[in-house]
Amino acid sequence: MAVAHTDAGIAHTAQADVPLKRWLLSHPGATRIAVILLLLVIWEFAARFLLDRDFISPPSTVLMSLGGVLGTPGVPKALGLTLYEIAIGFVLAAIIGAGTGLAVGLSRFAHKSFMPIILLLYGLPQVTILPLFVLFFGIGAASKVAFGVSHGMFPIMITIAAGVQKINPVLMRSARSMGASRAQILYHVIFPHMVPSFFTGLRLGMTGVLLGVLLAELYVSTAGIGYFTSLFTQNLEPTKLIGLVAMLAVIAIVLNEIVRRAEFHYGRWRG
Amino acid sequence: MNGDAREPLVIRLASHGVQVAFLVVLLVAWLLATHVWHVSSILLPNPVDVWRQLVDVIRSGEFIYDLRITLSEFVAAFIIATVLGVTVGYFVSRSPYLIKVFEPLFAAIYAIPIILFLPLYVMVWGLGPASKIALGATISFFPIVMNTVVGFGNIDRTLTAAAKSMGASNIQMFRHVLLPGALPVVLAGLRMGFTVALLSVIGSETIASLAGLGHRIVNLAENMEMARMFAYIVFVVAIVAVLNAGISMVEAYARWR
Amino acid sequence: MTSAETAICVRDVSHQFGEAGQARYVQALKNTSLDVARGELHCLIGPSGCGKSTLLSVIGGLTTPTTGTVTVGDKAVRGPMPRDLAFVFQENALFPWNTVFENIVLGMKFQGVPKAERRERARRALEAVGLDAFAEHFPGQLSGGMRQRAALARALSLETDILLMDEPFGALDEQTRMVLGEDLSVLLSRSRKTIVFVTHSLGEAVFLADRVAVFSARPGTIKDIITIDEPHPRKPSFMTAPKFHALRDRLYGLLHDEIRKSMTETAQPRRRYGEAAENTGDAA
Repeated sequence: MAVAHTDAGIAHTAQADVPLKRWLLSHPGATRIAVILLLLVIWEFAARFLLDRDFISPPSTVLMSLGGVLGTPGVPKALGLTLYEIAIGFVLAAIIGAGTGLAVGLSRFAHKSFMPIILLLYGLPQVTILPLFVLFFGIGAASKVAFGVSHGMFPIMITIAAGVQKINPVLMRSARSMGASRAQILYHVIFPHMVPSFFTGLRLGMTGVLLGVLLAELYVSTAGIGYFTSLFTQNLEPTKLIGLVAMLAVIAIVLNEIVRRAEFHYGRWRG
Repeated sequence: MNGDAREPLVIRLASHGVQVAFLVVLLVAWLLATHVWHVSSILLPNPVDVWRQLVDVIRSGEFIYDLRITLSEFVAAFIIATVLGVTVGYFVSRSPYLIKVFEPLFAAIYAIPIILFLPLYVMVWGLGPASKIALGATISFFPIVMNTVVGFGNIDRTLTAAAKSMGASNIQMFRHVLLPGALPVVLAGLRMGFTVALLSVIGSETIASLAGLGHRIVNLAENMEMARMFAYIVFVVAIVAVLNAGISMVEAYARWR
Repeated sequence: MTSAETAICVRDVSHQFGEAGQARYVQALKNTSLDVARGELHCLIGPSGCGKSTLLSVIGGLTTPTTGTVTVGDKAVRGPMPRDLAFVFQENALFPWNTVFENIVLGMKFQGVPKAERRERARRALEAVGLDAFAEHFPGQLSGGMRQRAALARALSLETDILLMDEPFGALDEQTRMVLGEDLSVLLSRSRKTIVFVTHSLGEAVFLADRVAVFSARPGTIKDIITIDEPHPRKPSFMTAPKFHALRDRLYGLLHDEIRKSMTETAQPRRRYGEAAENTGDAA
């Protein structure tokens, strides 16, 4: 079906005589929702009639038991703690990442010296040292925050350093030719230029922090979210487990969406 | 700001010097911490001990059992993800409409840490390799499918129009225009999928498993066998590095051809 | 003109992209009719977005018009006709992963030329455009002018009666354009090919064409047809002749209002958040 390449317009008008089809064809978002709903329906059907109830629950049951999950003592606290860890981790990662990224990006020598080190550390499979983090920082929030920061700060550093490097030298030259001091150049040329890169870095950093915090939470099965995931798994309570995981997934999606919109909004002049 | 191609030799040497100094400082700090500052060996083992344990692990062949499990889980996950990802990606790329429907969906799912679903997989498939393979395949699927969609979908329309105007059949179009055009991007996706599958397998072994390299590290941590644990960490980092270098070479070779 | 002399017959072609009321709706062509005589170089010229490239695409069978018909010789156009029409696009039509020679051979493979003939024809085509020394080069290693010559060689190797050229020199600098234009004129005088040539450039149209069809602003329709009575091959001295200037002025007079009209139109619909830029396809 190579036709689609050169003639998207015609392919549409030829097929879309049915009003519903035509509407769907111009609203891909609606089709997307339809696909998701279809998957949910399949899940519902499969869970009810085909699969073992001990291991998987239909979405309708999960939905109705969400209240029960939240009612389980300790769960709201664990969820809240996780959110708190993500927030702190994100702020710390942003500060460390942006600070280091700026410092490394602004000086060519620093960039040549330290960027390879940063890239090396970034490439390490950090999941192997997760048990170390927990041994050092304990099973409380500290290890989760630390692991989150460790995952989130590198993409921020790298993105910001790269963004600083990409400033058109013409801009700097014209600012200097007009008599701007170093501080003025920093404030009026470099910072505004950095804004899109900064928000891109934040988006990547959020993904990293989420990963780090959640990995650590799942690993520690004696406290926090990890305690409940392991509890629900061992007690064969799929409804509660799916509910809990779904809530975490929603938190992750929402946080991601926020940073993504911020990135789009502040990145607009880049085009 | 943009580095020029020929840096003065002094600057190049100096920057490499800084890197070497960094490693040296790290190593010295480690030695000092364990020998002079008496940091508890429960927290930080002696580098000499770590080295000895590493040698022992390798010589005794103890690593083979866990390595084999991890590698087999990883390979299975990657193969499943590749087959599914490339197939689905190719068919979605055929229609700009389907791309508009599915691409944001894939991107949104990929943005969250899918490892989150590990407990669900464990509940269904247990603590054995199946859950790791399934999760690894799931996570690895996304970069592969997204890159395949972009690779095949972004082929310059002028090229397909030109081929069509010259009478290319569908098979000819695929073999001579779509495939070579999409290959670099698809390969990059496979490369990402490769790395991600490996990390996810090790990660799931760390969190919930009875065997495999990730589990071994956790086991040693729980038994407070710090030196041996560090040895395994070094070993796993090395394995990951080797595999990554390997896939880089494959990618470079494929591009050259 | 008798049908034996008409190579291409366009009747009442209209074309739109999208549905009325949609953000991306565009009426590219409206009731366009045209006759292209055998052996002539017929130019299509008009302001941006007037649909001339769309018309070329319709003639070539790459786009099915919303209404109207196109006949090539005595056959109705229902899809690509590789034996009758060969395209030369503005740029990027050579497969970057193949050498120039491989590109030309591949084109013949698509058309269905027997394997035994391909290499010889490719060689001849490259000689005709003067690129035989660069057969083993990759398109990325060549300058823009050489790439377009390679694209022309590919079209020539297909040995069709008709060439459809969509601003083939549009991405090149003026000096290269002039030289390649002269070469095209020489080529035309030697073969009896029919060429439909889309361009923005007034000078190019007058220098190359036997007849020029002037398009109105979008929705495009043919406003007028100017005849240029000067035999091929045309020499560079033609460009300084008073006849040339008169024709060029006449062309500009016809186009002037249409160009102004097209400048007040926006190029792209406003984007909503999250939407990728719409590809308005062949609207040009």
